[in-house]
Amino acid sequence: MKKEIPLAITFISGFLLVLALFIPHKPFGNLEEIFNDWYIIVSGFTMLLGIDSLLGYNFGKIRRKEKDAPYALILILSFFLTLLWGVIEIIRTPEHNPFSPSSTFSRYFYNSIFVPLQSTMFAILSFFIASAAYRAFRAKEFNSALLLVSAVIVMLGRIPLGQGAAPYVITIIFLIFAWYFYSEAVGITETRIKLIYILVAILFVVLIYPIGWVYLRQHIPSFSDWLMNVPQMAGKRGIMIGIALGGIAMSIRIILGIERTYMK
Amino acid sequence: MKLAILLLLWQASPVNVRAYDTPNDAGGSITVTWGLDTTWAVSKIEIYRTQDPNVPDTLIETLFKVETQFQDLGVVDKTPYYYRVQIYQGDSLIAEGKTTQPAISTAQWFNSRRLSVLIILIFYTAFLIYFIMRARVDKNLFIRKIAGLEAIDEAVGRSTEMGRPILYVMGLGFISDIPTVASLAILKRVAYKAAEYEADVIVPCYDPIVMVAAQETVKEGYIEAGRPDLYKESNIYYLTSDQFGYAAGVDGIMMRQRPGAVFLQGYFYAESLILAETGHSIGAIQISGTTAVTQLPFFIASTDYTLIGEEMYAASAYLSRDALSLGTIKGEDYIKMVLVIIIFIGSLMETFGIGNHMLVNFFNIF
Repeated sequence: MKKEIPLAITFISGFLLVLALFIPHKPFGNLEEIFNDWYIIVSGFTMLLGIDSLLGYNFGKIRRKEKDAPYALILILSFFLTLLWGVIEIIRTPEHNPFSPSSTFSRYFYNSIFVPLQSTMFAILSFFIASAAYRAFRAKEFNSALLLVSAVIVMLGRIPLGQGAAPYVITIIFLIFAWYFYSEAVGITETRIKLIYILVAILFVVLIYPIGWVYLRQHIPSFSDWLMNVPQMAGKRGIMIGIALGGIAMSIRIILGIERTYMK
Repeated sequence: MKLAILLLLWQASPVNVRAYDTPNDAGGSITVTWGLDTTWAVSKIEIYRTQDPNVPDTLIETLFKVETQFQDLGVVDKTPYYYRVQIYQGDSLIAEGKTTQPAISTAQWFNSRRLSVLIILIFYTAFLIYFIMRARVDKNLFIRKIAGLEAIDEAVGRSTEMGRPILYVMGLGFISDIPTVASLAILKRVAYKAAEYEADVIVPCYDPIVMVAAQETVKEGYIEAGRPDLYKESNIYYLTSDQFGYAAGVDGIMMRQRPGAVFLQGYFYAESLILAETGHSIGAIQISGTTAVTQLPFFIASTDYTLIGEEMYAASAYLSRDALSLGTIKGEDYIKMVLVIIIFIGSLMETFGIGNHMLVNFFNIF
């Protein structure tokens, strides 16, 4: 019974919610809303579990005198200070909800501590984007090179200076590719392959003018849009279709009780 | 004055007003529509309602923008209502219309707009059930190798060799999100392997319910591996329910405890790259997985292995090798093939401008 009852609850709840999607008539029509309300009520109570876990974990660190115990102490002090401050404010001004944005405490806490900390964390993202892009765009192989070229085109197409800078950037990229193929050709002994490499290097040099200075100079924003709206969107939608189908299959597995990892 | 109003009303153009029961709803709603001339500079539209055509109607709504439809949500089911609409240009009445038929609101038993979803769902479920039945007979269904899942054992092993714990991050999803449930399946496998190698698994959680589920899952993994004595409940704890607070907390754990393997499995938002890059900076082997399409490029750039979208959903079946679960994956693959064929045919028809055809009508319902 320890397994059967949760499985039965899952089956009935899942099946009713599927029915509710197609039947607007009461009592099915507002089932999702009712279930969501129940979920919010239950999750409100589980916050107590979370607080218990958080405090227990950090008190344990202090008790064991771990290396990062000072951080645990700061967390516990901040927690109780916030709680105490809120309680005092309720006692002093019962009609004043301390957690409403107009509350002095809430405003001070939110604007002076919370927002700057959040902004700091979010700001770090820009540095991480740069470091991740650097690694992803290193043209070590054909795929990376393709990614690099696409990224440069998209970036040039999206910035105000892009149209003017495009011919110069494309010239530099094509010259790098030409140099790469030429330097590879130098080390190759077989004449035919060497010739192909040299021809590719020459092709890159020849294409600088028609592609960089004629076509992309005028069309880089539309080419950038095309890259985003056609090849990028096609790949993205392929993944999204897979996710949707996978999600339905997973839901059916859960409703039928095949997938039970969420329970003991 | 009365004469002026009468003159205005006489001059006002007629407006074709229709009132009807709002389709595909749970009742309590009537939709009123009217026509507008494009030459009118409409300043406001007044909607009047009455239950008896012999009694003067009352104003129920004034719209101050150009609209041709209004949904009246203040009606009682199975009661007839009559509507009238007046359209103004400045303060002058330029058009008005009155309903000729009473509108009665009722609740519907089927949402016809979702017919296509129902057809697809029945078709898809039938496919899945067929393959589940087939899996009962044929136990050796072939599923291609998923590198990210194959690497779990390697990551746990390497982390143990280095004498470091394993960090498992479940993202910002709640237990009602499917990626979180899928993540629990992977966590179970990680816990099982960690118990075998006698390693620690740290799971900082964003949501208390997810924390409880994660505690049960890890415990189950340790029990299955025959090492319940090694399970530490204190390693699976609640951190915070704030996005960047959570990112900061997890980053702190990474920097202080230096895990040898980091698993980022679940639903992530903008914090994904912050977590993945910090994991990279400490030299941990990282296996990520998410269904958040916008975060996938970040994971692919920063982590060693990435479970892309549906691969994450397939994880529990792949790892458990349970025939019934594998059957659903097989069914999913076949339905995907059917969809690819339909999309291909649809694209060809659109490209070559084939119209007024049975297939076009068929595609239109989707």
